[in-house]
Amino acid sequence: MKQSKAGRIILEVVMFILSLAFLYPLVLTIINSFKSFKEVMTDVIALPQSLSFENYAYVWKFINYPRLFMNNAIITLLGLVGIILIASIAAYKLARTKSRASLIIYFICIMPMLIPFQSIMLTVLQMAKDFNLSDSTWGLGLLYWGFGAPLALFIYHGFVKGIPKEIDESATIDGASGFRLFFSVIFPLLKSVTTTIIIIDVMWIWNDFLLPLLMVNGSPATKTLTLAAYTFVGQYTSDWQYAMTAMVMAVLPSIIVFIFLQKYIVKGVVAGAVKG
Amino acid sequence: MLKLGRKRAEKLEFGIFTLPILISIIAVFYYPFIMTIRYSLTKWNGISKHPKFIGLDNFKQIFLGDTNFTNAAWFTVKYAILYIVLVNVIAILLALVLDMKLKTTAWLRAAFFIPYILSLVIVGFIWKFIFMQGFESLGESTGWGIFDLSWLGDPNLAFISILLVSIWQSVGFYMVIYIAGLQSVPDDLKEAATVDGAGPFRRFFSITLPLLAPSITISVFMALTNSIKVFDVILSLTGGGPGGTTYSVAYDIYRDTFQNNLYGYGTAKALILFVAVLIITVIQLTIFKRKEVEA
Repeated sequence: MKQSKAGRIILEVVMFILSLAFLYPLVLTIINSFKSFKEVMTDVIALPQSLSFENYAYVWKFINYPRLFMNNAIITLLGLVGIILIASIAAYKLARTKSRASLIIYFICIMPMLIPFQSIMLTVLQMAKDFNLSDSTWGLGLLYWGFGAPLALFIYHGFVKGIPKEIDESATIDGASGFRLFFSVIFPLLKSVTTTIIIIDVMWIWNDFLLPLLMVNGSPATKTLTLAAYTFVGQYTSDWQYAMTAMVMAVLPSIIVFIFLQKYIVKGVVAGAVKG
Repeated sequence: MLKLGRKRAEKLEFGIFTLPILISIIAVFYYPFIMTIRYSLTKWNGISKHPKFIGLDNFKQIFLGDTNFTNAAWFTVKYAILYIVLVNVIAILLALVLDMKLKTTAWLRAAFFIPYILSLVIVGFIWKFIFMQGFESLGESTGWGIFDLSWLGDPNLAFISILLVSIWQSVGFYMVIYIAGLQSVPDDLKEAATVDGAGPFRRFFSITLPLLAPSITISVFMALTNSIKVFDVILSLTGGGPGGTTYSVAYDIYRDTFQNNLYGYGTAKALILFVAVLIITVIQLTIFKRKEVEA
């Protein structure tokens, strides 16, 4: 492809400026999180007069940030480990067993991908209340097992089919069977898909809003980061400086993780979409 | 005897491996789904012990005289169509530019992708701040009239704002899918077309675009399923306002069930949403799968 050099340089510059404009809302958010109320009101786009972490100290204490972070971590981790465990062992067994029952179970498990969450949210909440799973981070984490399982099973199932059966057979001869065969021989072979599932599920559970809103919004002790930011902004609609601080604190963990794991995240998201 | 024992052991193992996922999925999908169907035939405020069975009255009322639902459905359809078209066109354009191997490609990809890792509720709040406070300052310093418009206060502009913010948040996701798709278009094919005298537009429409078909199927499918269920971003950006003009179907269901405590009525709407999603998904997948084969 031949292209004039000048044209290319112009394109570079235009795209660069465009990307800065694209990220400008985030920049403004960060800038204003350092300002005082008066500064925000007089000029939003000006830089803060001094770099003060007063807002951060206030919001940190007010919403009890460490607690929220722990809640998010518990919910995400519990959900993720459960999804990976139940989906990978089931995918392995279902892909290896050629029977009508196996096929039926597989379809029962992946069909729910067509059910929008809003269609069942009320009855999910009621079921959770009946089983004492509501108002608890553990209960919420547990619910994610079911919600995340269909897609994970679908992705694992497609991958296991590509692993030669001879591997199972030689492991069986060596005396491994059942769980041991799966966890010592098969599961390590699933590493690349497991990474994909970790990435899409962590992004989803960490940022999820509606299910946590219904399940754990009742008490400050069980809230997630997004929920706390949501409630906080509701209470402080005019105190934008605190609201912006809360926003930054809510999104900072994701942005830091993204900066370090960018390549894997983009790859995982693409793989998840293409396979899903 | 021995063979029978082995068969039974195999069956037992099959059960142990598949039961956990079956129980989890039945508990959060099938059981609630059946209960949804049950509640949709009742009148219930969630407080009284027993829902009152009223047959199909909820559905009659929804289809015959619920302007809230009709408005929300109309809003969602308009939103979904515009969102699907715009987000895909913009994403393809960005992907084409990023595929040209500029010096800043790595930065550009990261920059356009970042909003996608943020929670939609938070994105809505950030933009609410930009629309309400940021635009005022920008208007003062640039003098551009575009910043003085009431982006969240006027029904038409509020609709555009929701659309823009949704696109802003997710365009990076579609972009990376298209970049991956473009990388699978062989270079020699494009070069051969250039040698044959095809200009850039011709090359794009007769070579690149058809080969991108699988990526387009995936992206349109994702954009469709996400836009039909749009909720979070509206909740934090406009809260359904101004004057209740920006309620989506999902938001309308949420309002009826959890704010108006119309449990039976809300679940009836939820069921309609399910059927709509099912029909649209099946139609879309069959159409696009057929197109892909032809290309």
